[in-house]
Amino acid sequence: MYWTSVRTIAQRELNETMSDWRVLAPTFILTFCLPLVLIAATQVAVDFIDTEGTVAQLVPFVMMLVGFIPTSFSIITALEAFVGERERNSLESLLAMPISDTQLYLGKLISSLFPPLFSAFMGMCFFTVMLRITAPDLFAMGLNFRYVTIILMLITTKAVVMVAGAVIISSHTTSIRAANLLASFVLLPTTALVQVEGILMLGSGGGWRVLQLIVPFLIIVAVALIRTGMGAFNREEILSREHEELSWKNIVKTFLTFLREYRPAGIQPDQYQGLSFSARRFYRYEMPALLREYRLPILIAAIAALSGIVAGGYIGQYYNVPILNFYLENIGTSPEPGFFLSLYIFGNNIRVSLLSNILSLFVFGVFAFLVPAIAFAQVSFVANMLHQRGGSWFAFDTDSPLQFLTAYVLPHGIIELPIAILGAAMGIRIGASLLSPPPGFTVGQNVLWAFAQYCKVWLFILLPGFLLGSLIEGLITPHIISTLYGG
Amino acid sequence: MIEASHLQKMFGSFQAVHDISLQVDDGEVVALLGPNGAGKTTTVRMLAAILKPTHGYARIAGLDVVENAQEVRKVVGLLTEFPGLYHRMRPVEYLQFFGSLQGLDNATCLQRSEQLLKRFDLWHARGKRIDSFSKGMKQKVALIRALIHDPPVLYLDEPTTAMDPHSARTVRDAIAELREAHRTILLTTHNLIEAETLADRIVIVRGGQIIAEGTIDQLTRQLLGDPVWELRFAFAVDSTEVSPLLENLVQIEATGSDWVQYRCTEAHLINPQLLTRLAAKHLPVLSLTQLSRSLEEIYLRTIVDEAERGTWDDQTQPALDTEIPSPTASSTAPLAAISPEE
Repeated sequence: MYWTSVRTIAQRELNETMSDWRVLAPTFILTFCLPLVLIAATQVAVDFIDTEGTVAQLVPFVMMLVGFIPTSFSIITALEAFVGERERNSLESLLAMPISDTQLYLGKLISSLFPPLFSAFMGMCFFTVMLRITAPDLFAMGLNFRYVTIILMLITTKAVVMVAGAVIISSHTTSIRAANLLASFVLLPTTALVQVEGILMLGSGGGWRVLQLIVPFLIIVAVALIRTGMGAFNREEILSREHEELSWKNIVKTFLTFLREYRPAGIQPDQYQGLSFSARRFYRYEMPALLREYRLPILIAAIAALSGIVAGGYIGQYYNVPILNFYLENIGTSPEPGFFLSLYIFGNNIRVSLLSNILSLFVFGVFAFLVPAIAFAQVSFVANMLHQRGGSWFAFDTDSPLQFLTAYVLPHGIIELPIAILGAAMGIRIGASLLSPPPGFTVGQNVLWAFAQYCKVWLFILLPGFLLGSLIEGLITPHIISTLYGG
Repeated sequence: MIEASHLQKMFGSFQAVHDISLQVDDGEVVALLGPNGAGKTTTVRMLAAILKPTHGYARIAGLDVVENAQEVRKVVGLLTEFPGLYHRMRPVEYLQFFGSLQGLDNATCLQRSEQLLKRFDLWHARGKRIDSFSKGMKQKVALIRALIHDPPVLYLDEPTTAMDPHSARTVRDAIAELREAHRTILLTTHNLIEAETLADRIVIVRGGQIIAEGTIDQLTRQLLGDPVWELRFAFAVDSTEVSPLLENLVQIEATGSDWVQYRCTEAHLINPQLLTRLAAKHLPVLSLTQLSRSLEEIYLRTIVDEAERGTWDDQTQPALDTEIPSPTASSTAPLAAISPEE
């Protein structure tokens, strides 16, 4: 019975999609006409460049585009999954059926997954077959079993991520227009990812190894999104949204309520005690409670830092990255200590902290996740390169990673790095606020709550921390570098 | 069959239902009346186990709407305020979809669909897509959807909205049949004639709480006082001659040259005495009738009384259905406005 209901819902949705020419026509064009156009363009490119080898490098990327474009179009059906039914007033009768929230969600998710995956696979199959027929040399040079497998897995996982994100948006919005606007939060990061994948495909042979790593990363994101969607979906929330109205006065009032006083997420503003803000209370009681509530985001930020350490070491071992080599070449060179250096570092840290966290709302916390990952990757890269040069982890000398860490990282890093992890955790929570409002909260309340906590922590923890770290980095660290490296 | 106790529903800081306690017996039809925004739909959603009450509890056929939500949804048929159909489907496909979600097998689904489509004069349109249906036909399909699994409890929200008189009659007959078949029905409507015709009991809701409840007779007596009788004479009579005969028996409400309106509690005892007195004085009685008082009067009186108590909001004025007939002279004969001396 459990899966029968899921199948019934999915089947009906699919029948509806497959009988709508407004969905079918563009999907057909993107699935079958786009590959033909791209193959024709490839021929023109070969004639123009006159080197098949160069054009052949483009073939995997083109194949991925052929899969990605219809997929991105097809998420329209996923975006409509719940909010479309709500606008057509057909959702309530569905909610009145003896099925669980999970069954309903899964039915919608599965039916939304089918069109993008079908169009992507059909498009890519058609492309490869047509390429094999019209340009067998390009086919042979550009594609192999490994490349095709990786591309198929990338497209599949990306489609699942996009659809899962779109279904979450659909279940948390009140109109199709709002859902379409929010769709950019799904499309933006995935399109950026396609660009990164393109660079990796067109770059050196090592790029495919990194692409392989993107697949499990996307699987984790997809599983997280599906679980989040299932956890956050319930009839109550959907029908409660009928009573929501946009009032700037209420938004500001709610935000200020969350700002003045800490209560765990999910507690309604009218249940707050109405206390005014107290810095003493914040440091003494609220911050420890907040840290307890932020255990998961902090863990994720710590995992980001850890993966940065691993990735930095890995990259240092296998790749030549010019921008990171710059750091290596300048080991032992001490910057001129002074207040202006501190000010510059402080400004830079604040900019990164603010932008990454605020923008995290639009990319599900990815920017915030990247901050500790990149910071720790840089440190790890240099330390590993020094170790490869023969530097010891246990003794001080010019090539010693230990000396590098002691001079360049430890003095200010002891403050800045934990602060960066905490800041990232705040950003990850902001990013997650759209996806998983806790019971009792709407998405809007959840976003306001996350921003209010971020504002308090930024002002009373991150800002002083960054200031102290910058002062140490600008005034003390250069002296330590000079002392240890003799510069 | 339906038992609700102190139901309350909050959406954030907005209180949709304040305090509703309700008891509907097996086979009873209860009409839930009230202005827009009174909390009727939210109450029905709680009783249909779609929304969880913030406070209070409700049991449907002995099943708790929170603890046994899925079981409750199996025993309930819900006709929503808007039909909300899947327009690309054909009626049989549509009914099969919902039947399947209700756990019916294909054969039963088809059999029930055929039976109900025929009952509601839609069998001829079974091959057409729902988007080609008129509003009334769509409403009927939605009603059939609520009936497809033959539920013992039905919540019908505006069941005859947008229907032509013939279709509305078909639906009302169907509801009457369901009552005969011992189905428990909670009817939410703005059509007071429909409520009056179909319901055994009326519940008037405003501001998320029940402000009046009972059978039409009980409500009439409670809100409009004792029944009003009209005595008509064959020709004009002298009121000074008639009034003393009635005064110690009844409460005179209004008089005319050849008529008198009065209230009395026990008409079966009073009226024979009254007629005897008149006959003794050779006053020629043409007719003695009880004035009908409609649900509309009861409803408006309830709402106006509440408004006078101070919390009436213009935005929540009742949206009465246009089917209510214009008041006739007899039904709206002044009950208190005309003094006996007139």
